Amino acid sequence: MLYQILEALEAANGLVSLNELSRQLQIEPGALKGMIAFWVRKGRLKNIAVSGCAGHRRGCTCGAYPEGCVFSTAGPRVIVLNDS
Amino acid sequence: MTTVEMFINQAPFRYPSPIETELSHLAELFAQTPALAVYPPRWLAIQALEGDESLLNDIRELGGPAVAAALDASLERLHEIYGDDLDVALVDQRYRFVHTIAAQAVRRPVEAPVTLSDRIDRVVTHRWLGIPIFLAVMWVVFKLTTDVAAPFVDWLDGVLSGPVSRWTVALLAMVGADGGWVESLLVDGVIAGVGGVLAFVPVLLSLYFALALLEDSGYMARAAFVMDRLMRTLGLHGKSFLPMIVGFGCSVPAIYATRTLDSRRDRILTGLLVPFMSCSARLPVYVLIAMVFFPTSAGQVIFGLYLTGIVVAVGMGALLRQTLFRRQPQAPFVLELPPYRMPTLRGVWRQMWERTSSFVRKAGTIILATSIVVWLLLAIPIGEGSFAETPVDQSAFAAVANAATPVFAPLGFGRWETSGALVTGLIAKEVVVGTLMQVYGSAAEESSTPGDEPATLADDLTSIVNGFGEAIGAALRALPGIVGINLVHAEEEPVVEGLAAAIRTGFAASSGGHSTLAALAFMVFVLLYTPCVAALAANRHEFGTSWMLVSLLGQFAIAWLAAFVVFQGGVLLGMQG
Repeated sequence: MLYQILEALEAANGLVSLNELSRQLQIEPGALKGMIAFWVRKGRLKNIAVSGCAGHRRGCTCGAYPEGCVFSTAGPRVIVLNDS
Repeated sequence: MTTVEMFINQAPFRYPSPIETELSHLAELFAQTPALAVYPPRWLAIQALEGDESLLNDIRELGGPAVAAALDASLERLHEIYGDDLDVALVDQRYRFVHTIAAQAVRRPVEAPVTLSDRIDRVVTHRWLGIPIFLAVMWVVFKLTTDVAAPFVDWLDGVLSGPVSRWTVALLAMVGADGGWVESLLVDGVIAGVGGVLAFVPVLLSLYFALALLEDSGYMARAAFVMDRLMRTLGLHGKSFLPMIVGFGCSVPAIYATRTLDSRRDRILTGLLVPFMSCSARLPVYVLIAMVFFPTSAGQVIFGLYLTGIVVAVGMGALLRQTLFRRQPQAPFVLELPPYRMPTLRGVWRQMWERTSSFVRKAGTIILATSIVVWLLLAIPIGEGSFAETPVDQSAFAAVANAATPVFAPLGFGRWETSGALVTGLIAKEVVVGTLMQVYGSAAEESSTPGDEPATLADDLTSIVNGFGEAIGAALRALPGIVGINLVHAEEEPVVEGLAAAIRTGFAASSGGHSTLAALAFMVFVLLYTPCVAALAANRHEFGTSWMLVSLLGQFAIAWLAAFVVFQGGVLLGMQG
């Protein structure tokens, strides 16, 4: 089952939503999230939520707010195959 | 509706045979080892085979050499079968078991239940409707940020340039410092420069309110999903649009967000495109110019500028993909579309506050410093006059800005005022507004006639409160305009006077009477040239000096060409303005 996720992702052409993947593999979204989390821990997938300044508090807007980038929360969670 | 069977047959859980054999062997060994008695033996064996480093160390240290050797032998035998994926085999078997049990125990409807989020997504992420809906959402956002916020901008601008300036002069008079360079620095430098930018806080509050609503409701993730399709059609990486969405807020985090892309080439390409997305710092410039030249259609003009930014970014991306960055196979990715939810007042307010306060902090630092430098250059006489009393067109600022004027002359805004504003705009885009306020403010003062200004503090306070009430009324009347119902009568169109008249006159003089076309070209140039030095620094940090220079020069060339096409094309077509 776990390998199905990697295979489905390798076969996908570009973006696939979590719900689409859940329907395609007939796995509950909750279980699928857990399986993806396993592969992320294992290093085969990467969780790359858009992280704004990526920890660098440089820049006009980012540097102006003590808590860091104020635009960093905009991005959704994105999972990719980790080829490195 | 999902129902659970009350009785589930005994379903023994077993790992594949080679694993079970080793598990039984190890569990028995651990059970016989008193030092490991604290752990359940089978659980400990499973954790050991899954590679839990901490427990493996405990087993080796507490169990002694014989247990360690047996453990290593088991691991070696299993690695011969499963390689490095022994833990995967264990976890996979558990998921299979749970899946089988769930399949037997849970009765599901033939068709999966359709949630409200699913229903909305069918429309919002529809192949053909998705992009028009995205554009419609953007339309509403920019109508809100211009039409509704405009009365508050006028009010705040009036307060800063009227009562606040008068109070400052009065306070200086009390300490005997009025009429000199200190008054000029505070009124013409700080209040005109920083105050001129701060007057646009209502616009940014509206923009951040709309962005917070879109983010908190879950729509932003759908926008990325919808744009992915378009981007892929044009040969671009769908993931590129994620940093681009951040770029609507600020180019700097958007450049850093390119790290989400896999290959360096994709990151560089996206880093080159991100600055074309119109960041929030450019919005005050659009609002100022659009309100002067397009008072009845400012929302449409600003919407068009944002759309132009997207089109240029996507078009340039497609072009670069065919040339410098030939298409590489795209890595697939999974995007989590969170369920739609009602944004909370607290969450929306937090985002509005954080982002607006960040803008205000910037006004108090970078913009303040730049305003003082601009004032200083405006105060230094090159021709006639003395320090702080020279006509602005005889100042050092005018002389320096004049050097750049020939570059902008074919674009319709070849005057020192606009050239100077564009050059200082490299520090931060809001500075363009501050500089225009400073250089045109003097001209507006010279041409204005003394009016019925309130004489007392009480009069000032009354006019501030009344003005705010009128702004609320005007904003409420503008609200239905978002959906096309116009409650603002034609006679309410603002009379062009003061600063607006000075800006109009300046653009008319530099464009041979085509001031509207020149203003449009000016906004296109502001949209497309380098956002700020911080964005350049981010570019250099991420991609190196060479790519930073490519970005700087490339954006300038594209901005110049686009503005040239707008102005000269409009003149050629005989467009009025």
